[in-house]
Amino acid sequence: MSAEAIRPVTDRDSAEWWDRVRAGEFALQRCGSCGTPRFPARAYCHRCRGAEWSWEPVEPAGRIESWIVSHQPFLPGVREPYVVVMVRLAAAPECVMYGNWRGEEPPRAGQRVEAAFTAVDDGLTLIDWRPAA
Amino acid sequence: MAGFRDRTAVAGVGYTRFSKDSGVSTLTLACEAILAALEDAGLTADDVDGLATHRVGDSAAPSVVGPALGVHRPSWHLDQFGGGSVSHSVIGQAALAVAAGVAETVVCYRAINARSEFRMGGTGRGLPVSPEVQYQAPYGYVAPPQQYAMFARAHMAKYGTKEEHFGQLAVRQRASAAKNPRALMRTPITLDDYLASRWIAEPFRLLDCCLETDGACALVVTTAERARDLRRPPVLISAAAWGGGDSFLSGGPSDVTVTAAAELAPRLYRQAGVGPAEIDVAEIYDCFTYSVVVQLEDYGFCAKGEGGPYAASGEGIPVNTHGGFLSEGYVHGINHVAEAVSQLRGDAGDRQVDGAEVALSTAQPGYILPATSALILRKG
Ligand SMILES: [Zn+2]
Repeated sequence: MSAEAIRPVTDRDSAEWWDRVRAGEFALQRCGSCGTPRFPARAYCHRCRGAEWSWEPVEPAGRIESWIVSHQPFLPGVREPYVVVMVRLAAAPECVMYGNWRGEEPPRAGQRVEAAFTAVDDGLTLIDWRPAA
Repeated sequence: MAGFRDRTAVAGVGYTRFSKDSGVSTLTLACEAILAALEDAGLTADDVDGLATHRVGDSAAPSVVGPALGVHRPSWHLDQFGGGSVSHSVIGQAALAVAAGVAETVVCYRAINARSEFRMGGTGRGLPVSPEVQYQAPYGYVAPPQQYAMFARAHMAKYGTKEEHFGQLAVRQRASAAKNPRALMRTPITLDDYLASRWIAEPFRLLDCCLETDGACALVVTTAERARDLRRPPVLISAAAWGGGDSFLSGGPSDVTVTAAAELAPRLYRQAGVGPAEIDVAEIYDCFTYSVVVQLEDYGFCAKGEGGPYAASGEGIPVNTHGGFLSEGYVHGINHVAEAVSQLRGDAGDRQVDGAEVALSTAQPGYILPATSALILRKG
């Protein structure tokens, strides 16, 4: 990943989540009424519509739901094909997260994975994924 | 719902030429297709009292197209934001407006220079269309072929769907396009050609992907009663349905191999009073091969998980008789409805499905955004 990375266009719901990632924290929102975890960041719980919530650090882990090998040069400075994975989160089975693959071998469906924090620069950290230790 | 069934009709169809570089504006394309559709119906722009389109900031709005055609005081208009998941929604909404008496003669159109001016996806876009893009773009996950490849892979992993299934579908759609004078790609291909085409985003190759196209298509929607008095055989709008679902972008449902179409389909069929067994021809949104595979399942033509072998066999429902986006051209969905109309009129020439009386046509099934739409049309 180079400094000319595609920077996320954060919004008023998500800015704090990105700040927490930059600080090395893997957090989800937890509904204060029914306890449902959620990602991405939203003001209301999709299950009970409750407005009370808090950030909760959770296990930075999940399983491979799917993956692609992208041959189109959409990553600045990256010319080789790269792998994007879709990970179903262990702490929130209704939620998926995307990231680049940091494994030696290609990913497999259902494979257990863990988050790999990748600092792009002082202002941006991204979450990638690698095989679970 | 029976109050809506068959009360409106498609009375005219018009196209521009499909190309890789139209050399003209989307406004010009829209006007050309609309005038052709009106001519087909035996009407003029003076008869038009409604205009409807969908776009993603890439095309001429009804408020521009109307005045350009001298339609200064439409009684209804729709400028729907969105891509392929709302293509059929636009026509369904026009039918609702006509059925409600808000307008009598609506032109629905989609005009795009999707190759020469505004390509879908990529990193060069302006404002993201969804806040969820921020969780994907930094990883170089930005374009529809990547997103569809992701879901296709999940289907392959879960059900054993094979690249060859996608390939056979692409081969068959090209064979259909060879019989379609409008089609951009008419040279037959083989499974070997498919397998030899370059990777775009594994498991997708170039020949899994739609053709980025410049062109426009327009339809005239009016009352069934009025359509019977016009130039061409009327094609009735039996049902229009809209569907939503969980977001597949981030935060998703437990099974990513089931689309919003699975929830929409029973409502659509109930509204039309038919089931999949009564459908004679299906023009299915094929931004990518897998989109057809999953919809053949979710619209009930085969069991969940069997869409790959079913699509590959070519022995089930006739699908994408015009060649689809893969081979005719990509006009974002309206050209699938136009082909359904042609099949039901019986004027599809060498690609005519014998005795076609009921047709299904579908929009993007809800993978890129959790929304979809579909129509059932019937010979009048
Ligand atoms: Zn809740």
